Amino acid sequence: MTDTLVRPAPEQPKIVDNRAKLWPRVVVAVLAAPVIFGAFAAAKGVDPLAMYADMVRSLADPAQAQTVLVRASVLVLAALAVAVPARAGLLNVGGEGQIVIGAVCAAGVGLVTDQRLPGPVVLTLMIVAAMVGGAAWAGIAAGLRLTVKVNEAITTLLMNFIAIDIMLLLIYDPWKDASGFGQPASRPLEDTARLPLFVPGGTLNTGIVVAGIALVAIWWLMSRTGWGFRLRVVGGNPEAARRAGLRVGTLLVTSMLVGGALAGLAGLVHFAGTEFKLRPGMTANFGYVGFLASWLALHRPLRVASAALLLAAIAMAGDSLQIDANLPAASVNVLMAMVLLVVLGFTRRSKK
Amino acid sequence: MSIRRLSRRSVLAATAASTLAAVLLAGCATNTTTAASTGDAAEAPGTGGTAIGFIFVGPKDDYGYNQAAYAGSQAVAAAYPDLEVLTAENVPEDDNATRVMESMIRKGAKIIFATSYGHKDPALKVAAANPDVVVLQQGNLVDGDVPPNFGTYFGTVYEPVYLAGIVAGKTTKTNKLGYVYAFPISQTLDNINAFQLGAASVNPDAKTYVVNTSSWCDPAKQAEATSSLLSQGVDVISQHQDCTATIIRTTEAAGAYTVGYHADASELAPTGWLTGSEWDWGPLYTKMVRTVLDGEFTGSEYNANFRVGLKTGDNPFVQSAYGPAVDEETKDLVEQAKAKISAEDGSPFAGPVVDQAGTVRVPADTIPDYQTIESIDYFVDGVVGQIPSS
Amino acid sequence: MIVDVLTGGVRGGTAILYAALGETIAERAGVINLGTEGSMLTGALAAYAVTAETGSPWAGVVAGAAAGGLLALVHAVMVLGRAANQLATGLVVLFLGLGLTSMFGAAYVGRAISPFQPYPVPLLADIPWLGPIFFQHDPLVYGSYLLAPAIWWLLYRSRVGLTIRGAGERGEVLTAYGHSPQLVRYLAVVTGGLLAGVGGAHLSTAYANAWFEGMTAGRGFIAVALVIFAAWHPLRAVGGAYLFGAALALSPALQARGLGFNQFALDALPYLVTIAALVLLGRRRSNAAPEGLSRVFELTPAK
Repeated sequence: MTDTLVRPAPEQPKIVDNRAKLWPRVVVAVLAAPVIFGAFAAAKGVDPLAMYADMVRSLADPAQAQTVLVRASVLVLAALAVAVPARAGLLNVGGEGQIVIGAVCAAGVGLVTDQRLPGPVVLTLMIVAAMVGGAAWAGIAAGLRLTVKVNEAITTLLMNFIAIDIMLLLIYDPWKDASGFGQPASRPLEDTARLPLFVPGGTLNTGIVVAGIALVAIWWLMSRTGWGFRLRVVGGNPEAARRAGLRVGTLLVTSMLVGGALAGLAGLVHFAGTEFKLRPGMTANFGYVGFLASWLALHRPLRVASAALLLAAIAMAGDSLQIDANLPAASVNVLMAMVLLVVLGFTRRSKK
Repeated sequence: MSIRRLSRRSVLAATAASTLAAVLLAGCATNTTTAASTGDAAEAPGTGGTAIGFIFVGPKDDYGYNQAAYAGSQAVAAAYPDLEVLTAENVPEDDNATRVMESMIRKGAKIIFATSYGHKDPALKVAAANPDVVVLQQGNLVDGDVPPNFGTYFGTVYEPVYLAGIVAGKTTKTNKLGYVYAFPISQTLDNINAFQLGAASVNPDAKTYVVNTSSWCDPAKQAEATSSLLSQGVDVISQHQDCTATIIRTTEAAGAYTVGYHADASELAPTGWLTGSEWDWGPLYTKMVRTVLDGEFTGSEYNANFRVGLKTGDNPFVQSAYGPAVDEETKDLVEQAKAKISAEDGSPFAGPVVDQAGTVRVPADTIPDYQTIESIDYFVDGVVGQIPSS
Repeated sequence: MIVDVLTGGVRGGTAILYAALGETIAERAGVINLGTEGSMLTGALAAYAVTAETGSPWAGVVAGAAAGGLLALVHAVMVLGRAANQLATGLVVLFLGLGLTSMFGAAYVGRAISPFQPYPVPLLADIPWLGPIFFQHDPLVYGSYLLAPAIWWLLYRSRVGLTIRGAGERGEVLTAYGHSPQLVRYLAVVTGGLLAGVGGAHLSTAYANAWFEGMTAGRGFIAVALVIFAAWHPLRAVGGAYLFGAALALSPALQARGLGFNQFALDALPYLVTIAALVLLGRRRSNAAPEGLSRVFELTPAK
């Protein structure tokens, strides 16, 4: 039934079983990405070696390193938001929008309660609100897929734009900070309701703990529970799953809900850990990079952590590109894309 | 699993593991920067550096806001050849800005200019973490106490816009003026209101139609917005956008008049250019740097919410040159108005100012202070358009 | 106002239409390219840059098409040659496009070009209502009027079209007849990128007359959604593209007349309209999907 079975053999990528021939290929592949990017940089008049040296050096700074971890926490959650539905065979490209809705819900609850209730209570309420909001947003797409068969990749993508417009609508009018000199942003969250820092005055916040817990929880859910097992069966072969009597529709919807909840949690961690107020552009592509991280990790929860770390480091190094190498900030996308192309190109699709 | 894939996975795992190790080690290292800077509290902030840093929110050749700020930075470079001028474009208005500024500080900068209003929070953070560095923020306001090494500054942009409004009001044949803007932030609302008030002061029938694009530079939306206005009979168009070329070209092609903003773009509209407002940051930037280098920043006029305008002189936002369509009578009217608003009790927003609903917002014979002006949230009567606000 | 909105719809929807027509060909061959947005963007920059350097917008269009096709080639190589996941690769290609155009486009922000001029068609342009809506645009718009039926004819009435659709439905049948489905798919994807590049060129050299980072603002994604909404039928894609263009033109049209709506509600409107259209027509459409494409959507790999 699958293409791999009916396609004539020559079209298949060859399997190399001679180890001696293998390593040079892998090394070339891993080096290809930075080399190609270095070539682009050279075309713009930048010395590639100096550029990479600066990038590495910028990461060695403690403050920078802490920021990488902070970023990675959000990315881990955003990536898990893609990974869980992906194991069920669904494509959740709506991380960006779900993160925004999560942050909006968290802000909504937080701004109402942070001056009246103790910090930990507010934080708990915000976590719940963010997860529910994100799940609901993703649930819409899941519902559409099930009822009118519209593919969720498209709906989640379009809903990203709508989510951002919802946030803008709120921060320009009803939620606008009255003492913000007319700037579009919500009132900053009270100190008590923010995610606590590990070291006062430092950058690293407990969001990394949240991410870690989610990581372990999802790993356990996927590999040690019946639900996770059924999900993987659906993802592997939906037709067989249907015939085996599994409730495919319910499983698909629940996987999207879990994914949306995770993205909402990412929104919370970003809002209550770093931003403390809603403002235009606050999500900065976390959703899309999280998508890429999940693919890098082939949707396995534990690998997601390393992928998120790697991408967060690359994104951070992008700053050095701007200051030291004078390349536009978005150039780092090229490097990220190169790395991903290399990995995607050397990954085999699962055999059915 | 094929052997190849195993190797791929293990290489990725190894890379990630080493990255994680390195990052954790680095992150757990004691934060030495704060320790070092608190030791030098005796020295005046901003002195002793080898560089000056400028961060811009957009590209330096946008024909608009950032280009003007960049030109200012180059003026500083020319005035202080011994200091290195570091610039970073497209710095987003979030935590990235903090890190970019910190990197500049690590490279020897003791003075940082954060040139977009959205850079305020990162700028405050950087100032708090580095008491020996002077951080100057362009365009926003600080509530309450201003830290000793921090200051905001801006020009009263609405003053030249008011004067340009006079020219627009006098020149329009259809009595319909147009204004394209991005978001209903206070700076923009001030501009639009000033434009309308200026036009109405010489032409009571003039109305300003506003269209937003929800973007500081989206040429496609700008083209659409401009076409819509033109199709409604608007014959003078101005804007508050970061990049100005598309709107001006579209207006010129339709034979309508242009009032510029941010930069002198008269070469794009040889026939239709009336006047405009443009930035000339060089003199102000240079003066501020001089004060800092002399060790006199704390307690100076710049160590506050510093606003320059026609009243105080050297407004960095100046009126652009007139185009061929502006007659002498109009120019005289402008001169008279300029004198009026430069006076102690003059202002483009001198009362009575009435909003779209008819409520008097500024009572007669009073003028609002800068704080009030920069917190504005309504359109004045005569502006046709809606904003989401209370 | 209706005339204004519809005129804006045609003008603004043309770029999306080119991309959608291209993507129709690619998806008919069984390959979905989410990187269409990237192809549009690189096309927009290449067209703008070449027009700025040579003074000829037509040269710009050619360059734009080439750039778009080149980026799509990367997608094709990854998806067809290395069997990478189509949806993920598309997004990666998009990122690549974003980064490259940002790196190499900085020099062209604010530079003036001699763009395409609107050319009213004699006689036809004077028809009330229809005249302004359809016949007072630039040459690329007119090109799209011819392209849509041409592509329809290509897909449904020609041997080439049969080959393309065959590659999308049952590749092994093609092989039995001595054709290579992979080659057909490669060509289809690159053609898709070519047309997306032309769409991007329209955006930068005819519609907005400017270049700015990320100026396509999601139009490529809309084009992909449109193809599904149009049930992979080129002529229906025309309606969808103009519908979206009209939704985009609605906000300025309302505002210029002093009819205000919430700015952000209006901004979200085009996307809501697209989703609504997909929902209303969804059930019927999904059954019309090329077989090869269904496999992409159903079996997003998991382990």
